[in-house]
Amino acid sequence: MGEDNNIIEMQNVGIRYDQGPEVLSDIKLSLKKGSFHFLTGKSGAGKTSLLSMMYLAQKPSRGNMSVFGRNLNFTNRDELASLRRRIGVVFQDFRLINHLSAFDNVALPLRVCGMNEREIRKRVSELLKWVELDAHMQDSPDTLSGGEKQRIAIARAVINRPELLLADEPTGNVDNFIATKLMKLFVELNKLGTTVVIATHSEKLINDFCYPRLHLQNRSLQIINPAGSTILRGLADA
Amino acid sequence: MLKTQYISRKQELPLNGDSTGLFLQIIISIAVFIFAITLSGVLSINTMLYNWNQSILGSLTVQIMPVNDINKEKATAQTLAYQEKAIEFLQNVDGIIKVTPLNDNQLKNLIQPWLGDGVNISNLPIPRIIDVKLAPDADLNFVELAQKLSIASPQASLDNHKLWLSKLIDFADGLKLIAMTVLLLVIAITSGAIFYTTRMSLGLHRNIIEILHTMGAKDTYVAQQYGKRMAFLGFCGGILGLLFAIPAIFFIGSLATQIEGGIISEASLGFSDWGIIFSLPLFSMFIAMYTAYHTVKRTLKKML
Repeated sequence: MGEDNNIIEMQNVGIRYDQGPEVLSDIKLSLKKGSFHFLTGKSGAGKTSLLSMMYLAQKPSRGNMSVFGRNLNFTNRDELASLRRRIGVVFQDFRLINHLSAFDNVALPLRVCGMNEREIRKRVSELLKWVELDAHMQDSPDTLSGGEKQRIAIARAVINRPELLLADEPTGNVDNFIATKLMKLFVELNKLGTTVVIATHSEKLINDFCYPRLHLQNRSLQIINPAGSTILRGLADA
Repeated sequence: MLKTQYISRKQELPLNGDSTGLFLQIIISIAVFIFAITLSGVLSINTMLYNWNQSILGSLTVQIMPVNDINKEKATAQTLAYQEKAIEFLQNVDGIIKVTPLNDNQLKNLIQPWLGDGVNISNLPIPRIIDVKLAPDADLNFVELAQKLSIASPQASLDNHKLWLSKLIDFADGLKLIAMTVLLLVIAITSGAIFYTTRMSLGLHRNIIEILHTMGAKDTYVAQQYGKRMAFLGFCGGILGLLFAIPAIFFIGSLATQIEGGIISEASLGFSDWGIIFSLPLFSMFIAMYTAYHTVKRTLKKML
């Protein structure tokens, strides 16, 4: 379980909520550094649960899981926080903080890391300009459209150049032009070394960008190659 | 225009808008008010005990009981003669450095609080008093001294103050203990109020805290925001409480000085005492900040 090759490694991982049945069972996954995956599956298949384990909001109920080479069974709260700083997350419901401006929302991961304000202003302004929201810097997310919120959420996820980017339906609320532009951003980040996992229902997106799929079905994980012909169970081999 | 706008930064947790803020500020100001009054009481008692101790430390009082005689002039002359004998005896005792008989005016001042103005003490059978100062290293056997004194001057009796003073000190210590208990209770109640309102606030802002955690915020990042907010509330509440407490302390002080006998008037506050009382807002700030900070850290450990 070294950090050299695998960003995330899961062995026989299962997750359940309270005393309920397992939502995911016996998940085996090795997510290699610099890989790009789509995460697919029907609603309720466990995509959000799998993602929440990946961004360290939940610990597995059983099995072994390592993130950046650190076994979560032996990781304390402060170390978990340090690991989370290396992960960018785009939530399906955006999870923006409404009393903060768009600027402050995007700046959040940098402030949490203790970056100086001058550098924050520079980075956030550039990124907001790139996602064409520089005119809305001071606006509250409440006043923005769904697509604009989506772009704020994505900007927040990538502002600190994460090593792992997890996105839950990141293009669900934007038009095709913006969706393609955002996907190109993810691809560019991936080329720069960021490992990317995008949960989506969009067949178009999956077909347009030929990356392997992590497909959830019957509480377990399948790996589907871009060609669509080969189905591998167990370890991802991207 | 834009640049100057986004320089201003809002706190991620909107604690300023919490409805509990005003409640806490009122609680803290009431606590500081009670604390300041009680503390001033404790400090005054300390001053009073110190003054009592200082005034009697190394001193004795000798009383010459008045001689009973129908002829008042003769009686007074005899009493004064006994006084002279006692002075003569005391001046020759090793360890006694000064012997001062109180004159009529001093005696009058002593009994004035009890009998009022316009009393002619020459008409009263009151004892004469001799103030005796001891050397710092004096090692006297008081029982033996009292016996020898009564032989030298049969009307004389020795009082080394310790008996009546020990009762007063016990009483003052009891008052101090009660006051200290009140102070501890005030701290406990205030900390409890901060503890529960902080926990309530954490529940209210759980969503934001979860977002912050996802971004990699450590518990201390959240705890610091609560600590800062509570420090502000603690300080403002402390100032408010103090503003009400200071006139109250002066009022109580003025009432105390009106008590005849001069005992309570010894209970004054010195510069250092006022310094302690004026630092109460800083103390309340620290207590509020510390309680909130550790409440957040403990609660987050269980909550998320």
